[in-house]
Amino acid sequence: MKLAVEARGLVKQYRGRAGTVDAVRGVDLNVEAGEVFGFLGPNGAGKSTTIKMLTTLMSITAGMARVAGLDVMAEPQAVRRRIGVALQEAGLDPRQTGRELLVLQARLFGVAKQEAQARAAELLELVGLVEAGDRRIKGYSGGMKRRLDLASALVHEPDVLFLDEPTTGLDPGSRVTVWDEVRRINALGTTVFLTTQYLEEADQLCDRIAIIDGGLIVREGTPKQLKADLTERLGLGTEPTLDDVFLDATGRTRERAAGEVQEVTV
Amino acid sequence: MTVVQQANVLGGRALRDSLRTPEAIAPTLFIPMFFLIVNFGQAGRIFPSDSTGFLNGQSYAAFQLPSSLLLAASFGTAALFLIEDIEGGYFDKLRAAPVARTSLVFGRLLAEAVKGAAITVLLVLLSLPFGISIASGPLGLVLLVALTSAWAVVFSGFMQLIALKTRSAAATNSGGLIFFPLLFLTPNFVPRDLLTRPMEIAATFNPVTYVMEALRSLILHDFDWVALGRGFGVVAVLGVVMVILNVRLIRRYD
Repeated sequence: MKLAVEARGLVKQYRGRAGTVDAVRGVDLNVEAGEVFGFLGPNGAGKSTTIKMLTTLMSITAGMARVAGLDVMAEPQAVRRRIGVALQEAGLDPRQTGRELLVLQARLFGVAKQEAQARAAELLELVGLVEAGDRRIKGYSGGMKRRLDLASALVHEPDVLFLDEPTTGLDPGSRVTVWDEVRRINALGTTVFLTTQYLEEADQLCDRIAIIDGGLIVREGTPKQLKADLTERLGLGTEPTLDDVFLDATGRTRERAAGEVQEVTV
Repeated sequence: MTVVQQANVLGGRALRDSLRTPEAIAPTLFIPMFFLIVNFGQAGRIFPSDSTGFLNGQSYAAFQLPSSLLLAASFGTAALFLIEDIEGGYFDKLRAAPVARTSLVFGRLLAEAVKGAAITVLLVLLSLPFGISIASGPLGLVLLVALTSAWAVVFSGFMQLIALKTRSAAATNSGGLIFFPLLFLTPNFVPRDLLTRPMEIAATFNPVTYVMEALRSLILHDFDWVALGRGFGVVAVLGVVMVILNVRLIRRYD
C-alpha cells in the first residue's frame, strides 16, 4: 500500500495571550495514493490546522508527517513541488487576470514562460473560464474564483491535492461543478485530501473519511463502514446518514449543532 | 528556477499591482510636491539664492527636494499590498509554492526599487520649474535616482516587517508614521551646522540625515564622495538588515 499522506502523533500548539492552546493533539493519518480522503470536523476541530501542517504552511509542534513520500519538516520545498493547495479562502490576487495568475503560478513551479502560457490556456479551458481569462479576478463570482483557485493548484500536475472546504459559500450549481472537477482530477491519479463541512459532499466524493474533534481523530473509515458501525452499535432499524455518524462521533445533538457558537482563540 | 528569476516574476506581478492601483501611487507624487511647494513658498524669501551660501546659487526648492524625494520613497505601499495578500489568502498560496523565501521578500522589494526610481525621475522633472538643476550632471542624476530607490527598498523592508509581524493594515499604516519624526530630525530646513545643538545631535544619530545629505550634495554640489559614501553606506547596511529580518520572519511565519 503506497501512502500519499501519512501522519503520526501530529501535534500543533499555539502560544497565545490566554496560554497554550492545543489545536491538534496527536493525529494519525494514512491516506492511500489515488484515493479521495475526506477530513471532517466541526468548526475549530483542527481541520485547517492539520491541512496547513501537511502543506508546509504551518510548523509542526510534535509528531511526524510525510506527504508524497517526503518528510514535511525535513524537505518542505520538495513537498511543495509535489502538492497542490486550495485553501478555505480562494487565494487569488484580485488585480491580476485569471490568465496572469495561472501563468505566474506555473512560472513559480519552474515552468518556462511559453509552456506556462500554454498550461494556463489549457487550465482555463478545463475550468470553464476561457472567456473570463483576461478579465481581472476582482470581477469574478465566488464560483469562478473557486474554480480558478482549483486550476491554480493544478498547474504543475501535483501528486496530492489539498482542498480546504472547496465548496464553502458556493451555490449548488457551482458546488456540483467543483465535485465533477475533483472526480476528474482524481480519475487522473491525483490523491485528493479535502476538508469539508458538508457531509453530503463527503458522502458523494470520498472513498474514506476521518472525523476530527477537539484536535483528535474520533472516527475513520469508508462512509459505508461508518454508517454500518453506527447501525450496529445503536441497533438502528434504518441506515443512518453521514450526518448521524458525524453527530454521534462529535457528541453533538442536532439541536446543539444547529445553535452552536464557538469562540476560537489563537 | 533561480532565486533571481523567482524574484523577477514576483516583482513583475507586484509592479502590475501598483500600476493597476493608480489611486495608491497618486499620493506618493502629490504629497511630496505639496511639501516642496509649501516649504519653498514659506522659506524661499528667507533663503534667497544669491545671498545664501549653502544653496550654491540654486533656489531654496533645490535644498528642499531631497526631503520630498525621501518622503515619496517612504510611503511603503508595498506592505499594504502584502497585507491584502495575507488577508486574501494569496500569500499562503505563494508560500505553498516551491519558491525561495528570499524571493518572496525580494520580489516586492524589487518592484519598490523600480517604482521608487520612476517616482524620483517624475519628481525631479516636476521640480524643474522651481529653478532646480542637478549640479552633478547626468551621472549625478543616476546616483540620485539609485539612492532614493534604495531608500524606498529599505523603508519598504521595514514596513514589510511590521506587516508580517502584525498582519494588520492598521498597525502597518501606523508603523509607517515613524518616518515623519525621522524626516524632521534631520537638517531638512537648514544644513546640520546651522541647527541648534540638541537638534544637531539628534540629526547626527538619525540615519536619514546621511541619505538626505548625500542626495543634497548631488543636487547642490558636484560629487561629494564622503557624503555619498555615508548615504550609500547607510542604505546598504539598513538594506541588508531589513532583508535578513524579513527572510527570518517569513521562514518562521506560521
